[in-house]
Amino acid sequence: MDIQAYIESGVIESYVLGIANEAEVAELQRLQQQHPEVADAIVACEQWLRNTADRYAAPVPLAGKDQLWAALQASEEQTTSPAIKPTLAPVRSLRPAGRYLAAASLILLAGSIALNIYFYSRYTHAQDQYLGLLTERGTLMADNKVYQTRLNTLQGQLQVLTDTALLKVPMPGATGREQQLATVYWNRQTKDVYLISNNLPAAPAGKQYQLWAIVDGKPVDAGVLGDCASLCQLKNIGAAQAFAITLEQAGGSPAPDLTQLQVMGKVPS
Amino acid sequence: MLKQRTQQAFSYLYDNYAATLNGVILGIIQDPEVSGDVLQEVFVKVWRQIGTYDPSKGRLFTWMFNIARTTSIDMLRSREWKNSQRNHSLDDAHTDLPEKRGIGEEMGLRKMISGLREEHKVLVELNYFEGYTQEEISGMLNIPLGTVKTRMRAAIVQLRKQVQ
Repeated sequence: MDIQAYIESGVIESYVLGIANEAEVAELQRLQQQHPEVADAIVACEQWLRNTADRYAAPVPLAGKDQLWAALQASEEQTTSPAIKPTLAPVRSLRPAGRYLAAASLILLAGSIALNIYFYSRYTHAQDQYLGLLTERGTLMADNKVYQTRLNTLQGQLQVLTDTALLKVPMPGATGREQQLATVYWNRQTKDVYLISNNLPAAPAGKQYQLWAIVDGKPVDAGVLGDCASLCQLKNIGAAQAFAITLEQAGGSPAPDLTQLQVMGKVPS
Repeated sequence: MLKQRTQQAFSYLYDNYAATLNGVILGIIQDPEVSGDVLQEVFVKVWRQIGTYDPSKGRLFTWMFNIARTTSIDMLRSREWKNSQRNHSLDDAHTDLPEKRGIGEEMGLRKMISGLREEHKVLVELNYFEGYTQEEISGMLNIPLGTVKTRMRAAIVQLRKQVQ
């Protein structure tokens, strides 16, 4: 084989430029071992390629170096995480710009999911609070009605109590029950009788307090105390010198049990 | 030093080879916007495969040069494929090119073939810059494979003589 002709055939240039086929490459590598002049020619051709490429070099932006180093570090981290590597399905490799876009969109997706969860929990929390407020508002409205009713009653009672024809008859406790007190308000014109139990113990089960009007020394039934809140209207009484309360069987008695006299007061003349 | 992949090693590689490899890439891609992406991809490959580089089989530059060329041709192929799939939007990068770049004003390493005869030039274009095999070129140009081989060798020898 004419080695000099081989060297000058252009096959070495083809090899260095990367366009030689497999058979040419194999032959060249074999001859390179046998003939130092072939090896030298390859070295010379590589030097030529370097010089030529340098002559047609294209300047790169200054910032490119730091960007590229950052990109290399990033790709390094991807390859040096063997823990997750085996589980990865084969994926289409993206260009670096695409890779950043994909990473950015994954981060955005994760952020969006997190925000969705956060806002949903906020929404349900707010809804619970709203329902709670609705219930509270309903309760307040009902309470308000109760107070309005009670206020109307009290206003009516105030009318009653401020009537100039009204007589106030305080009834202090009987002997042995001095701490007890009840007051009768008696309208002499309308004959209406009202009672406030200022201090009477709750009646025992099966018993009720009964008011009596003392007319000419005789007790006249003036009715039993129901469970009225403050001012209780009892039976009308035409004339009386005194009022008294006894504890009787529930429903009242036709005649008072004087051993159970609780309070008594004279009508001022 | 290079195989330890320190920032210092990277700095050395970049300072000595980035512009030259960019010229190699631009010679194939002919689009400065895309060549920057390819340069980055080439450096990523070099960085990852530096352990497989065998100094006894050639110079470091030759090794990187071949990575740059094959990566660029891969990009060119994928771009052509994409272009055939969808219409290009007429952004500045595409409308400006013909005015900025007259005939013969090639970019990067492609400038080196400007002095070749037309019949040689087309072979180097197809074989080296566009990555077609000589068998494919034979079919494309309807020239026997033997003739393609002979002319290609002659073109390269001519190139080596012209560009010193």
